[in-house]
Amino acid sequence: MKKYTLKRVLTFIFTLLAILLILFILMQLMPGSPFNDEKLNEDMRAALYAKYGLDKPIIVQFFNYVKNMLQGDFGVSYKISKNTPISQLIQTRLPISIGIGGMAVALGAIVGLLLGLLAALKHNTIWDTLATIISVIGVSVPSYVFALALSYNFGFKLQWFPMLFSQKDIMGSSVLPSISLSMFTMASIARFTRSEMLEVLGSDYMLLAESKGLSGPALIFRHALRNALIPIVTVLAPLIVDLMTGSLVVEKIFAIPGVGSLLVNAIQSNDYNVVISLSFIYSAMYIAIMLVVDLLYGVIDPRIRLAKKGD
Amino acid sequence: MSEQTIKTTQNAYVPTDADFRLKDNAGEITIDTNFAAQSFWKDVTIRFFRKTSAWIGLFLIIIITVLAIVGPGMNEYTYSGQELSQKNFAPRVPGLEKLGIFDGVERMTTSSGTKEFDKYTENNLTDVYYWFGSDNFGRDIWTRTWEGARVSLIIAVAAALIDMIIGMSYGLISGYFGGRTDMIMQRILEIANGIPRLVIVTLLLLVLKPGMLTIIFALMLTEWVGMSRIARAEMLKLKEQEFVLASRTLGAGHFFIIFKQILPNIIGPIITQVMFSIPTAIFTEAFLSFVGLGIPVPQCSLGSLISEGFNSFTTHPFQIIPPVIVMALLMLSFNLVADGLREALDPKLKEM
Repeated sequence: MKKYTLKRVLTFIFTLLAILLILFILMQLMPGSPFNDEKLNEDMRAALYAKYGLDKPIIVQFFNYVKNMLQGDFGVSYKISKNTPISQLIQTRLPISIGIGGMAVALGAIVGLLLGLLAALKHNTIWDTLATIISVIGVSVPSYVFALALSYNFGFKLQWFPMLFSQKDIMGSSVLPSISLSMFTMASIARFTRSEMLEVLGSDYMLLAESKGLSGPALIFRHALRNALIPIVTVLAPLIVDLMTGSLVVEKIFAIPGVGSLLVNAIQSNDYNVVISLSFIYSAMYIAIMLVVDLLYGVIDPRIRLAKKGD
Repeated sequence: MSEQTIKTTQNAYVPTDADFRLKDNAGEITIDTNFAAQSFWKDVTIRFFRKTSAWIGLFLIIIITVLAIVGPGMNEYTYSGQELSQKNFAPRVPGLEKLGIFDGVERMTTSSGTKEFDKYTENNLTDVYYWFGSDNFGRDIWTRTWEGARVSLIIAVAAALIDMIIGMSYGLISGYFGGRTDMIMQRILEIANGIPRLVIVTLLLLVLKPGMLTIIFALMLTEWVGMSRIARAEMLKLKEQEFVLASRTLGAGHFFIIFKQILPNIIGPIITQVMFSIPTAIFTEAFLSFVGLGIPVPQCSLGSLISEGFNSFTTHPFQIIPPVIVMALLMLSFNLVADGLREALDPKLKEM
């Protein structure tokens, strides 16, 4: 287990460095320099370069860059809001995005689990078919199509929820974005739960538990679901990542002042510095989630832990 | 006693010539369908079409593909031709207009109740028909939808095929050689996999000029990981088998074994993975267009059409509906086909 953890953490660090290297190279490839102003003459430019360390060898620049990025010093925005530190831009937006993303994951996980359970317990009935249809649609239809449909029907036509995000009614205006983001998670989890539950329900230890006289919730939740849950945890990581991608468009549709819409704006207005900083944050979050899930997997499933000890 | 037995045996039966004639019973023998040997692919086809959702998906893909090819040529409009005097016309189809649908009438909900507009009669253009309506620049949405579907399909299929070639080769080589090669190749893959797809694609498109080839290239860089994992896993299963050993004994080279002998055996899971990666590619393309990194105007893809329609989707919802439906159906049907294919190729697989 210790060796495994160490290996995962090392991969994490290397991936992070690789990402930083790629971002750094991209920064070098970007047209122009940060000091494009025509009013500057050569001496002033040289002075500015010296001030920001741009006259040093490229390796030194890279290590400075890594140091700054890891300390959360991402530089300033050039276009979106001139000369505002990017960390400040992100600070207010990140909680909103994480809030909506978290709600979507929770909603998707709970509803998906219930849907999958229903389908497995009522295998080969109309409920099963219904749950399968819902999950196939949920997996195939992109989240922003749901976002558009929900925003048109419940936001515009029925006016149950605000169509656009407003700071005054954060709960109410998070409902539609969270639902549209959660659809993919929900559908995938429903499919996995169903297939895992079907396998578990047919296993010998379930027969044993039943023959010992267990029935009802105790049987399903304590014996079946617990074992079925293990593989489901592993799919959660890629799902969260897909959700991050989806959040870009969904945040734009609902005009949510989150990180996703900031990235979209930055891309559209060619604010490279912001794009690169956000790319770094997304990547760091992504690999951190992967790391946590990988490590959790060992904790949750005693079979893996014991097998690792035996080595 | 024994003498007697021998005698009886000898006298029991003397075969005659008639016994050695052909029985000539071709008529009696019918093919035993239960045990008749069938080729693998025939089996797969039968299992595939037995699943309703799979052939519905295939049917939808064929229809959409055909429409994407012939659709833009079905009326007199072109995908980039603008008619600024005829913008935002509602859908109107000859024949159907008498039934009260697709009649060119647009209903708008305002604060003072629902209003009906008919821009065709307002402008005295009674013989003009826009089947799916016209957009903000007076371009025909029918033509643009199918043109967009064509572009999206080309991007998705091209990206999926290139991914297949790269990912497959990578996985096969890594799995076959094993040892240090495998270790290094897998570490590289882990790092590549650690960078979110979104980030790679976005950054690449910032550096390169947006366009079809760039999008294909970006998709190629991100999608091969899944494919190579599958190829490697299959390779690990197969490489210890006797036919590989036999081939090696006969002096076959590594690459001959990998691509000529093992590859045909794992083509099933690979095709399934290609089918799964097509909807992902369609989605990624649509996403990029929505963000503004997609196909440059006046060309269009499903994503750019959705993005255009989004700007006016509360006032003219008919503009966004066709591309959204086509894209959703396309992704759905590719997923259905991939699911069906996976089950058909491996019936022992656990139910999904």
